[in-house]
Amino acid sequence: MVLSKNRLVVSCPTEEQILIKELVALSTTEQIRKIRALPVSFEEKKHVRLVEKIFLKICHWSVFPLYLNFIQKCNRDVYLCVLLCCLLLLQLIRRFGYSIKSISQSLQLWRGIMKEIGGKFGSSVLNYFVLLKWLLLFNIFSFLVNFGFITIPLLVSDLSPNVSPNVSFRGLELLTGAGYFNYTVMYYGSYSNETFRGLVDYDMQLAYFFTISVYMVLCGLVLIFSMASSFKKNYALADSASNSAWQLLCSWDFSITNEKAVNQRKNNLRIQLKESLSEKAHRERQTTSEQLKQYGIYFGFWLLSTGLAVGCGASIFYLCQYENEVRKSTHCCRNPEAETLLVPFVVSLMNMVIPLFFSLFNKFEHYSSQRRQIYALLFRNVLLRLSILGVLCYYWMNTVPQKFTCWEPVVGQALYRLVIVDFIFLMLGSLFGEFLSNVIGTKIQPRLGVPEFDVARNVLEIIYAQTLAWIGIYFSPLLPVIQILKFFILFYLKKVSLIHNCQPPRRSGRAAQMKTIFIFLLFIPFFVGALSIVAYTAWSLTPSEHCGPFRGLNNTFSVTGEWIDDVNKLSSTQWVVWIYQNVIKSEIFYFLITLIILVIIYIFWQLIQGRKELIVLLRKQIVNVGSNCPPE
Amino acid sequence: MGTTASQLAKDSLSEYQELTFLTKQEILLAHRRFTELLDRDERNHPNPRVPMEVILTLPELKSNPFKTRICQVFSTSEDKDGSLTFEDFLDLLSAFSDSATLEIKSHYAFRIFDFDDDGTLDCGDLEKLVNCLTGETEDTRLSSEEMRQLISNILDESDIDKDGTVNLSEFQHVISRSPDFVSSFKIVL
Repeated sequence: MVLSKNRLVVSCPTEEQILIKELVALSTTEQIRKIRALPVSFEEKKHVRLVEKIFLKICHWSVFPLYLNFIQKCNRDVYLCVLLCCLLLLQLIRRFGYSIKSISQSLQLWRGIMKEIGGKFGSSVLNYFVLLKWLLLFNIFSFLVNFGFITIPLLVSDLSPNVSPNVSFRGLELLTGAGYFNYTVMYYGSYSNETFRGLVDYDMQLAYFFTISVYMVLCGLVLIFSMASSFKKNYALADSASNSAWQLLCSWDFSITNEKAVNQRKNNLRIQLKESLSEKAHRERQTTSEQLKQYGIYFGFWLLSTGLAVGCGASIFYLCQYENEVRKSTHCCRNPEAETLLVPFVVSLMNMVIPLFFSLFNKFEHYSSQRRQIYALLFRNVLLRLSILGVLCYYWMNTVPQKFTCWEPVVGQALYRLVIVDFIFLMLGSLFGEFLSNVIGTKIQPRLGVPEFDVARNVLEIIYAQTLAWIGIYFSPLLPVIQILKFFILFYLKKVSLIHNCQPPRRSGRAAQMKTIFIFLLFIPFFVGALSIVAYTAWSLTPSEHCGPFRGLNNTFSVTGEWIDDVNKLSSTQWVVWIYQNVIKSEIFYFLITLIILVIIYIFWQLIQGRKELIVLLRKQIVNVGSNCPPE
Repeated sequence: MGTTASQLAKDSLSEYQELTFLTKQEILLAHRRFTELLDRDERNHPNPRVPMEVILTLPELKSNPFKTRICQVFSTSEDKDGSLTFEDFLDLLSAFSDSATLEIKSHYAFRIFDFDDDGTLDCGDLEKLVNCLTGETEDTRLSSEEMRQLISNILDESDIDKDGTVNLSEFQHVISRSPDFVSSFKIVL
């Protein structure tokens, strides 16, 4: 195809014939896809399709006698009928596919708002809202699954939990999650361990166990796939020289519609281009003493931030101990339930205040590239949150089961409180972080200017909130309801705050790489951590004796053992038993799988090295070919 | 096959769905917005052509630095005046839609950046590109020294066969290594 003047013209008839021949060999869907991807105008595409249809008809007509011959051998009517039905069905499926696509697009939640935000603030800020919507979908799915498979059977049967007569609903339950809520289907403790005999035998134990584990496994798979595809698109194929001029020019955001935003972007782009020029022209040469001083500063601040994170974790631990002793002591406080809010309050306060210190440290350490700065900040924040969560989980797994008879609902309530107080602090944080900064930046200290929307900090907050929900699903199956409400309100709150208080980010680009990092963070420390907590609970801890669906068992996982024994009795399902005993329970299997995966990874790594060398050789070849050919 | 009256015929709708990357909703919305741009008497014309100035009143294109180039690239008119029929408009939206492939987007991006339409990006095109994106007025332009340095950096990076210009394959090679391109080369009605 020749590129000429204004239009791409399929100049030589032979080229068009080649294209048509290629198309005819494909299936109809492939044909359509290929024609759609041709970079020509609409009229040309229509022309190609028309010619191809005629050609097909000729093809069919030429083999029609062969068809007839074949038909005469079979039962003609039946064959024709089946052929027609198949063709009709294929067409229907294709039409159906189109309408599914358009229906799913119209059902997309918040499409108008996302377009508005993307238009004004660009795709890095939009990443936050996309992630928020994605996590909301996780919670909606979790709620539907839990409610459908666990709660509804319980409510439908006669074994719904009874509320003891001297407990009534006070307003405080909304905050603490204890009291009246303790006796509802909100928590683990209210679920029974019986098998309901009805139309079908419904075993509550198996239902509870399998619902939670299947949901967690599905979440993990979705996260792995999206992380892998995002990694492949945005990291493996991406250029390492991120500040290059081409990257900046090619990532001009065409979806920005606001005139002021466009002018601001142009300004920012000019500044970035000038920066990239000066970086290339003058490379800083630091003397050794300056370098040592710089490393000393880095080391000092890293020590300080790690110390802060560890200190926070330790203080939370002592606070939990203190709260426990206060509860045990006979002179009890005036309002024992309100006291339980102390730990969540301190946790959320730390999560809000300490990252400000980290940002302050960042201003004193001068990192050489902006990328390293963001990574350092993210790492410190993640360390802080993980240490606090780790201490809390340690406390819940070790100390709580010994102190309470019905300990799972206690953990569930603690998580509920954390989620609610975290929500309140998120709202307050939006108020202080964005609204007040805007007021200070515009009226009191105009030099600071309008604040930018801090994407990294906000994303980390919602990842942390989702981790709490994931840990809490086992102990409180209806916690996703609270999470859904929380994320829903948070979306509108952040949108309003963004539009009124913030300006678009000054440095453009690298939105796609940040998205990969966020998904990676969501998966590796946070989801895997939550999964390990739940797995540890199911595997090692003894369920409480008198409440919950696993009462009386040694550990939760033994439910599957009992189920396998039941299945063993039927001879038709012996293969399930075989799989369980030789695959899931045997160590040799996992050892072999790990070995095979390691070998495959090594082979792929060598392939990548080989490909890199090939690219270098090909580039040299292109230069040689270009210089050898005489200019025309 | 144009658009008669203000309703799209059913088979033309399915043809549009087949040959563009747009869904039915997007095509109907595009049709509505396109008919709003027409005068009353033009609406009964079988294949109306909207002049460039009217297209550029659309809010999605009004502030775009490349608005004239976009109209010129997608226009199929003989006079090369940037006017668009409905099918050209659908072409435009399809190339800028979410589901368009990277090849289509990079192809059209190349043609949009090729200001003199000669099939390659030479120094003049690159200079016009940078000026388009940094500002038109005197005090916002880059100085000529900076411009020269910038263009030589760009050519260093992307001109593989060292002929002083960037052709389509070299451009597509650079684009394939820039992950933000697909999500930023987007216009949605």
